[in-house]
Amino acid sequence: MPRVRIEIRNLSKTFREGGREVPAVSEVALDILDKEFVALVGPSGCGKSTILNMIGGLVAPSGGQVLIDGAPVVDVPRQVGYVFQKDTVFPWRTVARNIGLGLEYRGVTGPEHERRVGEAIRLAGLVGFEDAFPATLSGGMRQRVALMRTLIVEPEILLMDEPFGALDTHTKLNLHAELLALWEGKHQTVVFVTHDLSEAITLADRIVVLTRRPGRIKMIHEVKLPRPRDVIKLRESDEYAREYSQIWHVLGEEFIPEGG
Amino acid sequence: MNEKVTINLWRFGILIVGVAAWEWLTGIKAVSKIPGLYFIDPFFVSRPSKIVERFVYLNSDKVRLTLWQMLLSTVESTFIGFFVGVSTGFVAGLVLGRNDRLAKIFEPYIIAFNSLPRIALVPLVTMIFGFGLLAKVVLAWLIVFFIVFFNTFQGARSVDPDLIHSARFLGATEGQIMRSVVIPSALAWTFASLTPSISFALIGVVIGEFIGGESGGGIGYLIISSLGTLNAADMMVSLIVLAVTGIVMALGIKQVEMRLLRWRPEYQQR
Repeated sequence: MPRVRIEIRNLSKTFREGGREVPAVSEVALDILDKEFVALVGPSGCGKSTILNMIGGLVAPSGGQVLIDGAPVVDVPRQVGYVFQKDTVFPWRTVARNIGLGLEYRGVTGPEHERRVGEAIRLAGLVGFEDAFPATLSGGMRQRVALMRTLIVEPEILLMDEPFGALDTHTKLNLHAELLALWEGKHQTVVFVTHDLSEAITLADRIVVLTRRPGRIKMIHEVKLPRPRDVIKLRESDEYAREYSQIWHVLGEEFIPEGG
Repeated sequence: MNEKVTINLWRFGILIVGVAAWEWLTGIKAVSKIPGLYFIDPFFVSRPSKIVERFVYLNSDKVRLTLWQMLLSTVESTFIGFFVGVSTGFVAGLVLGRNDRLAKIFEPYIIAFNSLPRIALVPLVTMIFGFGLLAKVVLAWLIVFFIVFFNTFQGARSVDPDLIHSARFLGATEGQIMRSVVIPSALAWTFASLTPSISFALIGVVIGEFIGGESGGGIGYLIISSLGTLNAADMMVSLIVLAVTGIVMALGIKQVEMRLLRWRPEYQQR
């Protein structure tokens, strides 16, 4: 039995908006195991990003708590890496200096720094773009930089907030393949937020379906597709179709407009 | 003919026609019977030929202080005022921009001080700092400080919080976040204020020179002493020199800005 890395205990969050209390997340309880790839899926505004932000220590819970390796999360936890939906590549730094940021912060310099940045650039397929500024790169390339910048410091836990949400389907599929290949190597514990069910099935071991706001856990689905997965072929398989329809049956209800 | 050549030809043409018209109109006698009255009186607007003559004279050894020396004095004060203003404005903007309480405390004072027309401070500055270089530098500084301060303040406030979060997740300490995120983001705003700042520094210095008299020197002094002798040609020389200086300084700063902000999309050459 693998150990529990992230323990989410009756987590709730209420935001104050113009004097009104708006509940965003309600009583979410979930254990995420070591080396597990979990996707949080739900309609927009269901509080899935809020849950991720509470795991990452960016937002304080209104009720309940999150424990990482048994310790309550108060600030940004050391063993966690975070990939944002928004482009958070530093525009004033070149690709190489963006990817090297985490090493720089940790005081890793000289040949060791060069070697690790070089390797990350090679893994991300960004050879030749080392000295390019982000403004000259495509959205997909920028998100690759963001991903490698996070992975270079080898976090054991990876939180990803719709990291490929703004990309076109083709780029997205390429990045899914790349992410899976990297994950097969290191087996980080991943919590991946998305509203794209196909993405969740392609990547995850377990899919947590959330309800409309305030977000509650509606269903937890175990994805039984074998690994390693081929992101293209996978979509043609009957198993994929079966997984999809099983979850869609439940998730689809959440997309029906209120009162509809 | 390509567009750039056409535009430059037009520019040059307008200059030639303008200067020629100036020379000609100040030369012909008016229809008026009154003797000495020209169509456009060169007493007030001088003439290009006279201006060139005075330009050469003011640079010769017949004068105690050459035009070149006066220009150096003006440029020196402008640069000192500019650098002092930019550095103090930047630091103040950064500190108040990252500290909400301090910003709130100082807000009314800053607004009050900024709404004061800077030129109204000239006599007081002269009283305190005398008639020399220091007074000119202080005037330039007073103007530049606020321009840079407000820009940097905005820049420091509008740092993307997700960039700060990313840095934190990558293991940055507070000091490292300041150096690697806050300062570079704020600098982009600061740099954008440099070109107007150098022009305003020059304004401050020239005003200081108006008041400063001979001990302050500079082009501003040449203008004000030409008023005393009713010498329009010397004023025109001063104005042309100031215009050229202003353009050269602004272009120089623009080059620096483009170099420093080369990561910005608008400065990327694809």
